[in-house]
Amino acid sequence: MDRTGSGFMSLVRSAVKEISLNLHSRPGARLITLLMVALAFIVFNTFLIISWNLQGIVDKEEDLVGMEVFLQRDISQAEGRTIGDNISSMQGVKSVYFVSSQEAEALFRAELPGRTDLLDVMGNDFRLPASLQITFETEAMSQGRISELSRQIEAVAGVEDAVYGEDYLPGLLKTVTTIRRLVVLLGIVLVSSISLVVFYTVRLSVVRRSLTVDIMRTVGAPWWFIRIPFVVEGLFMGVTGSAGGLVLVAILSKVLSSAVAQRFMPLSWMTLVILLCAVTGTVGALAGSYEKER
Amino acid sequence: MLVTMSGVRLSYGRWPALDKIDMEIRQGEFLVISGASGAGKTTLLRLIWMGDRPDSGFVEVSGFRSDRIRNREFPQLRRKIGIVFQDFRLLHTRTVFDNVALPLQVTGTGNRIVQKRVISLLARMGLSHRRNAFPHELSGGEQQRVAIARAMVAHPVILLADEPTGNLDPEVSREVVDLLLEINRGGTTVVMATHDPRQVPAGKGRFLFLDRGVLRGADRWTELDPDS
Repeated sequence: MDRTGSGFMSLVRSAVKEISLNLHSRPGARLITLLMVALAFIVFNTFLIISWNLQGIVDKEEDLVGMEVFLQRDISQAEGRTIGDNISSMQGVKSVYFVSSQEAEALFRAELPGRTDLLDVMGNDFRLPASLQITFETEAMSQGRISELSRQIEAVAGVEDAVYGEDYLPGLLKTVTTIRRLVVLLGIVLVSSISLVVFYTVRLSVVRRSLTVDIMRTVGAPWWFIRIPFVVEGLFMGVTGSAGGLVLVAILSKVLSSAVAQRFMPLSWMTLVILLCAVTGTVGALAGSYEKER
Repeated sequence: MLVTMSGVRLSYGRWPALDKIDMEIRQGEFLVISGASGAGKTTLLRLIWMGDRPDSGFVEVSGFRSDRIRNREFPQLRRKIGIVFQDFRLLHTRTVFDNVALPLQVTGTGNRIVQKRVISLLARMGLSHRRNAFPHELSGGEQQRVAIARAMVAHPVILLADEPTGNLDPEVSREVVDLLLEINRGGTTVVMATHDPRQVPAGKGRFLFLDRGVLRGADRWTELDPDS
């Protein structure tokens, strides 16, 4: 072999020519492979969109989980805000909103306009207590952690009582956790299946051209020269197939958007989908060429 | 010695494809390996280009030993070997020129040298007028000549021909054998596997006979009369 720089450049030129020849050969077989990959990804992308939308619903439900902390009646607004600041520094607390006595009354009147007589009965001197509305971080969303936080907050000077949905919270949190686990489990199963579909589809298309690999071996082609056209082909089929699947699902999503309110998956997920397919396509092509090269 | 086989045994599954093979091939000789279908001729040639490695014993070809060769050395070994198959094994999406140029292109040979060598070899093989044709546009004899040209273009030290006339009619077969003899006269060692050793005239080479994986004959190095 010519080991000079020009020799290497000739080799690279030949490799590029091989890649081009490979990509232009057997367009029918390549189209079938691409359709297989795209079809597999239509199923996967549909699952991802459902998961993404389900995630939104679950997040909204979780946002509703919170705690109302009633302050003692003799607490001033400034003291109330200081208590709020102290609570907001507790681990697991996401946000603290101070509701003054006046704001609480205004809210009561706005939310329960038919029951304002209750306030009138209590007399002019009556004031609703100031309170703090607390939300939690996702990692603190467990029955045990929330009751522990409740005890900690009740122990803070100036706090009268801490109330949260003790009755419905365990059920809600269990449902949310179950949904999340199911989605992850189904996701793992689908990612594995899709990876295998892409891997075997691409590998099969490479093995079909075993004659080329055989001839390359017998004429003394270096291993990378034999494999690189197949690797590029695997990469090409993976990226094109998954991108095709994404486009088809995006069109479907657009068409159905008037009937079913939904969000399309985020750009980061789309990138991951294409990356997953590119990797499995490349690995499949490598495996196919290696199998024939031994 | 260009090729040495010592105590070679190779099995596919339970059955030995080759057993107790001890043989040597000298530089510049024309060796005919004959035997019935399934006798192990193709396997013997595969051992020489190290498409397979023996279960026991070793094969040494031009300094590369089957029990010591590293993966990255296979391409170096195979560049010293030209191989011709019964079914030609041409790439159907490439022209005659590109098929013949392949062994040079995969080693990074410059374009000018590739042009010069391929054109000269095609002229020698009588294929100049077919250089832009695709394999499916050629006759069987022409395809085999293209395959021989491809095997010879990188100036190998040994040419392995596995039933090179198996798919050809008798007249074209004679032309192909004559071509192999001419290549051998040029100094290249030729090993030809065939089920019909009578295709090679007696006295033009050394004849070995394989029977169910074993080299037969009172003296393995005795020239066998192909007519016997």
